[in-house]
Amino acid sequence: MKIFKSIKWRLQIWYGLILVVVLAGFGFTAYLLEWGRQVQRIDVQFQWRRDFLVNALHRPPRGPNQNRMPFDRPPPGQAPDDGPLGQGPQPSIEFHLPPQAVGVFDADAPNNPEKFCFIIQSRDGREIARSANVPNQVPEIESFSVWHVKQAPTPGSWEGMVNGNMRERVELLPSGEAILLACSFAPELKELRFVALTLTGVGGVILLFGMAGGWLLVGRAIQPIEDISATAVKISAGDLSQRINVAEAESELGQLASVLNSTFARLEAAFAQQQQFTSDAAHELRTPVSVMLTQTQTALSRERSGAEYRETLEACQRASQRMRKLIESLLELARLDAGQEQMKRLKFDLSQTAWDCVELVRPLAAQRGVKIHCDLPAVDGYGDAERLAQVITNLLANAVQYNQANGEVRISAKLQGSMILLAVSDTGPGISSEDLPHVFERFYRADQSRSSGQTGLGLAISKAIVEAHGGTIEVLNQPGAGTTFTVVLPATQEPT
Amino acid sequence: MRILIVEDEPDLLRSLAQALREEGYAVDTANNGEDGLFNAESYDYDAIVLDVMLPKLDGWEILSRLRKTKKTPVLMLTARDQSRDRVRGLDTGADDYMVKPFDLPELFARLRALIRRSANQTTNIIEIGNVKIDTAARNVTRADAPVELTAREYALVEFLALHRGEVVTRTQLYEHLFDENDSTLSNLLDVHVSNVRKKLGAEFITTRRGHGYCIEQ
Repeated sequence: MKIFKSIKWRLQIWYGLILVVVLAGFGFTAYLLEWGRQVQRIDVQFQWRRDFLVNALHRPPRGPNQNRMPFDRPPPGQAPDDGPLGQGPQPSIEFHLPPQAVGVFDADAPNNPEKFCFIIQSRDGREIARSANVPNQVPEIESFSVWHVKQAPTPGSWEGMVNGNMRERVELLPSGEAILLACSFAPELKELRFVALTLTGVGGVILLFGMAGGWLLVGRAIQPIEDISATAVKISAGDLSQRINVAEAESELGQLASVLNSTFARLEAAFAQQQQFTSDAAHELRTPVSVMLTQTQTALSRERSGAEYRETLEACQRASQRMRKLIESLLELARLDAGQEQMKRLKFDLSQTAWDCVELVRPLAAQRGVKIHCDLPAVDGYGDAERLAQVITNLLANAVQYNQANGEVRISAKLQGSMILLAVSDTGPGISSEDLPHVFERFYRADQSRSSGQTGLGLAISKAIVEAHGGTIEVLNQPGAGTTFTVVLPATQEPT
Repeated sequence: MRILIVEDEPDLLRSLAQALREEGYAVDTANNGEDGLFNAESYDYDAIVLDVMLPKLDGWEILSRLRKTKKTPVLMLTARDQSRDRVRGLDTGADDYMVKPFDLPELFARLRALIRRSANQTTNIIEIGNVKIDTAARNVTRADAPVELTAREYALVEFLALHRGEVVTRTQLYEHLFDENDSTLSNLLDVHVSNVRKKLGAEFITTRRGHGYCIEQ
């Protein structure tokens, strides 16, 4: 069931259950208190009637009323109230209610609306007296003798109970007689039913309001989660620019939203970078393809001389070479990015490698009248000699390329602590401060033109190679005095 | 028709210039932004093919500076193909936009359309009396019979036809029919005019002495 999986519904159900338990607890307690109050009120009424009966029982009337059935008084010393109990057969006791008390137990008397009645039995269950208004055929009343004869409670103890519509009070007197007092409990029961109904009604209304309030509260508490979920859905659909609206930054969900937002921002940046790289790569390929298309379409539009065809083919060759270089660089970068390019970890003669690179660049330098000064003492490097040679060649070629005519290039290497410092500096115009932070970015060129024959990936590849060796590459600009690229490499095997 | 190409990739520039010359255009070239802007401001080109990525001054800058003085139709040529780049190009004042790599026939068609629009012409066919000029096919018929014209003669007829009803000065004709590599001998234009008159009728082009030439409506 989906409804039980929703946090909102589950919270609501739990909340409802707790509310029901609390309300039921309160309601039940209130009902019990009311019950006790009613019972106590009746019991007070019982008390003075009982006292009355006990008095009447132990102080028989005397005087001219001798024509009534006299109490069969036991001889002195054998009075039932002070004689030892359970000693021989109980004498039969005549009991007469004083005339002023007759109305108190009269069924129709106006001063007995509660229909108080009584039964007095002797210890062995013989009935001594009974008021006229004892209801007939009430088994609870008739089983009164069972209580004091069979259960044999301690003399002097009493019990109160509600049976059906009757409240009863049974007592075993110390003198041996048992008194049952009963009265109608119907009006009280009616009142208690009304109280129960009222409590249920009020509880129901409170429950209803509570549930509605709870629903609103849960809804508000859940709202940020729904916002987060809605935003996440949009993002998974491809719109990375979406952000969660963080209204309460301090709350737990607000913090979660902030964390998610910053994650989304980084994701977006990574995607944008990737997209930029792909688009730049495509862009770089467009120009050579344009050259080839235009060249071939022009050449094929009419008959050409052999020399013209040759020219076209040469232009196409140049464009193809450029594309080849670009594709190789892109693949290399992709491999370096993916960490697939395993760097060898070998000791090699760094100064010799640097010398080889200088020799490689010398023709280009000679062409531009640039002098290369070397400060290369014998230093051993550690890593992939071939890859590091690529870095050095690239730095040297850049230094020559972006130098002024008849400028100078300096290359130096030295061991400093556990690091090797390799620096290549030129005497060119330097890099503008605007371009400086971007020189290691892919396809970034200070010069917007694409005709330099460079791919715009050289420094990016160099950086990737140096970093794969656990080193760093930095650029230092001295305005007007040229640029220095410094490569710092670990001189020994690093603990990895 | 005289066209300026501003493009920094030398092979592309050379082949574009060659292709357009073979299409009968007079073509000037510039391989950087500064030269391009200088040329564009100095002559009334019929159209400019402008690359965006250029050394010294980029295409956007050239365009916005040029638009302060001239309404020359500009076709931007760029490797950037995102819609915001195209929007930027058109909003800066470019009349058309092509993404590299492009097809030459399409470039030609777009240039023809640019030139036609700048002359307030809606179709490729211009009819003057019984002479019909098809600027797309670059041919001319007179009373439904094809007329053989040299490229230069055709360019002269097309330019005058696009500006028919106006007097076109000799200077204008020189500027639009010859590029900076042509030797502009003063009588070269007269030779072309006289040849056209032989082929399309003496009254096709009228001479306004002291002003220039004109094709009547």
